[in-house]
Amino acid sequence: MFLKVQLSWNVIIAPENLQPQGLMLQRAIIIRLLSDFAMKKATKDLGYFLAVTTLEKIGEGKVRQHGDVLLPVVFNAITFKIFKGEILEGVVHKVLKHGVFMRCGPIENVYLSHLKMPDYEYVPGENACFMNDKLSKIGKDVILRFSVIGTKWMEADRDFQALVSLEGDYLGPVSTPDI
Amino acid sequence: MFFSSEFLKAKCLMNCEVSLILEHKYEQLQQTSDDPMNQVSQVFEKSLQYVKRFSRYKNPDAVRQVREILARYQLAEFELCVLGNLCPETVEEAIAMVPSIKTRGRAQDDEAIEKMLNDLSLIKKFE
Repeated sequence: MFLKVQLSWNVIIAPENLQPQGLMLQRAIIIRLLSDFAMKKATKDLGYFLAVTTLEKIGEGKVRQHGDVLLPVVFNAITFKIFKGEILEGVVHKVLKHGVFMRCGPIENVYLSHLKMPDYEYVPGENACFMNDKLSKIGKDVILRFSVIGTKWMEADRDFQALVSLEGDYLGPVSTPDI
Repeated sequence: MFFSSEFLKAKCLMNCEVSLILEHKYEQLQQTSDDPMNQVSQVFEKSLQYVKRFSRYKNPDAVRQVREILARYQLAEFELCVLGNLCPETVEEAIAMVPSIKTRGRAQDDEAIEKMLNDLSLIKKFE
């Protein structure tokens, strides 16, 4: 699910960027905030950081050692977090013997085990896929609707993994011509 | 159901709303940079691709109307966005996607859900 969140961060501005003109300072703060935001990539609680939408408030700066200035900044941003129990749609990008990997938003590692796609059998070959007796196919680039059974935060890569399932009503390959 | 308390204040966004915001951001970058894709993070790029593909509504007026219609049905933020993203066609499908619309005792009867789905499909038709 995409979320709109309000965050309060401290931004550090180097002394050479402290110009007397107010606009230049504001510009330096925004540039620094956007680069910090992109670097952070994701956190366990808020999910992936997509974009800063609006700057709400720049608080009073505090001068630190070496002349750096620390400024508290309040801003709105969009994040994406995957929740257990949520129903989502994703695109298959890798087919393995034991299951498939999907992309969903910024997440690349959404894993659907063959144990969680009832009635589907692995069909080996150059374009390996899973198929059921109604000839419904789960292969590369197929869109699936799934439910999330578990999520895991990988601190080292600042990345999430998710385990998903097709067990449930109205889950499985989606054939919507309009999307 | 899905949220820890810290999220009670967070607002959810539908794919189509995120698509409008990210595309606008990207257009702004195009005006100031020769190579806008190089200016955005991978998270931004992957998300933009995703929401472009998974937005049921493209036109900004339609996107606004979808939220307005869904907001009439006392849905939680999360429920509203799941319905707006997945666009279920039948009452049964809507309840399978968001079981809480029936179980939270908000007198959300089948007739009301049916009307909501009809209104949504009308917006799609006239988009």
